[in-house]
Amino acid sequence: MRPADLVSSAITSTWRGRLRTTLTVLAVFIGAFALTLTSGMGIGVNRYIDDTVAAFGAANSLYVQKSQPLLEMSAGTGPRTYDPDSTQIATGFGVSFEGLSSEDISTIEGVDGVASVEPVYNVAPSHLVSGEGERFQLTLGIPVDGEGLQMVAGRTAAEGADEIAVPDSWVADLGFASADEAVGGTVEVVMTNLAGETRTYEATVSGVTQASLAGVAMNPIPSTSFNERLYAYQVSGAAQPVPASYIMARAVMDDPAQAPAVQARLEEAGMIGSTVEDQLGMFRAVIDAVVWILNTCAVIALLAASLGIINTLLMSVQERTRQIGLMKALGMSGPKVFGLFSLEAVVIGLLGALIGATTGVVGGTWLSRVLAEGLLSGLPGLSLFTFRAPTVALIVVAVMAIAFLAGTIPAARAARKDPITALRHE
Amino acid sequence: MSSVVLEARDLVKVYGRGENGFAALRGIDLRIGAGESVAIVGRSGSGKSTLMHLLALLDAPTGGSVALHGAPTATMTARELNRVRNGSFGFVFQQFFLTAHETVLENVVLPLKIAGVRPARRRARAMDVLERLELAEKASSRATDLSGGQKQRVAIARALVNDPAVIFADEPTGNLDSSTGAVVQELLFGLQRERGITLVVVTHDAELAARCDRQVHLRDGRVVPGPSVPSHPLEPAVPDGAGAVLGGPADVLSVGGGAR
Repeated sequence: MRPADLVSSAITSTWRGRLRTTLTVLAVFIGAFALTLTSGMGIGVNRYIDDTVAAFGAANSLYVQKSQPLLEMSAGTGPRTYDPDSTQIATGFGVSFEGLSSEDISTIEGVDGVASVEPVYNVAPSHLVSGEGERFQLTLGIPVDGEGLQMVAGRTAAEGADEIAVPDSWVADLGFASADEAVGGTVEVVMTNLAGETRTYEATVSGVTQASLAGVAMNPIPSTSFNERLYAYQVSGAAQPVPASYIMARAVMDDPAQAPAVQARLEEAGMIGSTVEDQLGMFRAVIDAVVWILNTCAVIALLAASLGIINTLLMSVQERTRQIGLMKALGMSGPKVFGLFSLEAVVIGLLGALIGATTGVVGGTWLSRVLAEGLLSGLPGLSLFTFRAPTVALIVVAVMAIAFLAGTIPAARAARKDPITALRHE
Repeated sequence: MSSVVLEARDLVKVYGRGENGFAALRGIDLRIGAGESVAIVGRSGSGKSTLMHLLALLDAPTGGSVALHGAPTATMTARELNRVRNGSFGFVFQQFFLTAHETVLENVVLPLKIAGVRPARRRARAMDVLERLELAEKASSRATDLSGGQKQRVAIARALVNDPAVIFADEPTGNLDSSTGAVVQELLFGLQRERGITLVVVTHDAELAARCDRQVHLRDGRVVPGPSVPSHPLEPAVPDGAGAVLGGPADVLSVGGGAR
C-alpha cells in the first residue's frame, strides 16, 4: 500500500465510527487544551517577571545584607557566634538580624568590581498622619528601590527634598480624590527617638507608584536624604552615641556579569549579596513549580485519553477482523496492517491536539485580555497566558506521539492476526 | 498438460499437538496444470478447506511441500508469499467478503491498492474488469446495496483485477440460489476457457464439481478414488446462504485465481 493510501484509509476508518471517534477525540482535546493553557501560563508569568527585571534597570545592583534571617530560620543551621560590636536590627516580625557596620561598608567598597556602595538605613516611623488628620501605621520602603518603579502619576521622591512616593492603593485613604491630585499633597511622618520623644516631619507626595509583582512598591518610599534625616532622629536621645548600622547596602557593579564573583567575595566576608534576578528567582521557582503541577495534571488527562484510544481501536480491530483477514489473504503485510491502525490513532491524536491547542490559544488569549482589564488590572503588562508557536507545536507533536504509542497495542494485535482465522471470525 | 502450476507432495497438516493433535491432511499428492479446473470435494471435515489454504499459501503444512511453478514455497519469506498471493492468486469466498460501506469500485481495487498501484492506473484496470463483467454501471454503488449474485460477481471482479494465474474459489455458489449460481459458474468457467486461468474450486455442489476438468475427492484427509459414500455422493450446499456482506455464517470457501 502506498503511504497516501494508508493515510486516506486511516482517515476513512476513523470517520466511520463517528460517535466513538468524537468521544475519544474529546478526551484527547481536554488533555491538549489543559496542557496548552498551563504551558501558556508558565510562559506568560515568566515573561512578565523578565519584563519587570528589565524595567528595574538595576541588573548591575547587588543588595548586600549581613545575614538572611528568613533563610537562617529555615536552614536549621547551628547558632552563630555573638559579636558584641554588631547591632541587631528589629524587623518588626519578631525577627532581628545583624545590621551592616561602617566597617562592612568599607569592605564592600574594597571588593573588586564594585563601583559604589549606598548604605540603607532602617527607619521605623511611629505612624503617618494624612492631610485630613487621620493616622495610619507606616512601614517605609527602601529608597534605592525607587529606581525603575512604574508610576501612576508624578515621579519618585527627589534627592535632597523631604518627599515621599505613595502606592496607588493608599491614595483614597489618604484623602486624595485621585492619583494626579495626590501629587504635591502633604502627609506627616511621626518619629519616636530613643528617649521616647516624638517629632513630626512634613513630607510632600512626589508621585504615586504602581503595584508590581516584585512587591517593592507596596509601601511609601521616601527619598534617600529624607530617609537619612528620619534615621538621625530615630537614633538620637540615647545616653551613648549609637554606632552606625545599616539594614542593607546597595553595591553598584561595573558590569552585571561580575555578580557571581562579587557575591563569592562578599560571602567570604560574611555578607550576602543578591541581585534583583536572584530575588525574582524565588518567584520564578514557585511559579515553575505550580506550572509543573498543572502540566502533570494535563499529562495525566492525556494518559487517560490514551486509554480511550486503545479501547476505541481495540473495538475497531475486533469489528474489522474479517476485513483484516481479507487484506492479509490478499497479500497485505503485517507491518502495513500495523501502520494502518497506528495511523488511525495518530489521526485521532492529531484531531484532538489541533482542536485542543487552537481552543487553548484562542481561549487563553481572550481570558488574558479579560483578566488584564479586570482581576489582574493591578499588574499592568501581565498577559497571563502567552503562547509561542514552537511550544504549541511541540504540544501537538507530543500528543500525537502519545496517541501513536497508545495505538501500537491494538495495531500490533491487528498485525498478528492469522488470515484464515480472521476470515472465519463471526 | 503443458506445465504444472501447483504441486503438492505428501502434504500433512496437523492441528494441535501430541495426543490431542488432529490430522486434517494425511499425505496428499496433487498436481494442478496450467489452465486446468479442479474441484476439491468431500464432506465437512474431510480436509478440503485445509488443502485449499495450503495450496493458496495462506497456511504452512506440517509435513510435505507445495511447489509453485516448480519452485518450493517452504523457503519463501513472508514478503515473497504476500507478493505471490497479491500478484498471482485471486480469491472468491462463499460470503463474498466485500466491505459493506465501500463502493463496488473501492472493493475491486483492493488487491491493486495493496500492491501499491497508482490511483489512476488501478481505477482504470478495475473499470476494465467491471465492464467485462457488465458491472460498470454499478461501480459507484455501495457493496451493501447489491443482490447476492451481483456481490459475487464483484468479488470475482476483485479476484480478476490483478490478472491472476490461479483463482481459488471456496464454495463460490454456496450462498446463491440456483439461477444466480449458474451465472457465476458460467463466468468462472468462461474465464478459465478464454483466459487460461487455473481454477481451484472447493465445493459441495455436485453440478459445479462435475463441470470441472477433474474432481479430487477427499475423505479423512486422504485422496480417495471416487465419491466417499455412494449413497450420499455429495453433501448438500450449506442452505443458510447469503448473509450480510461481511457477515454470513457458513464455512469459509475460497476460489483462487492464477498467477501470471
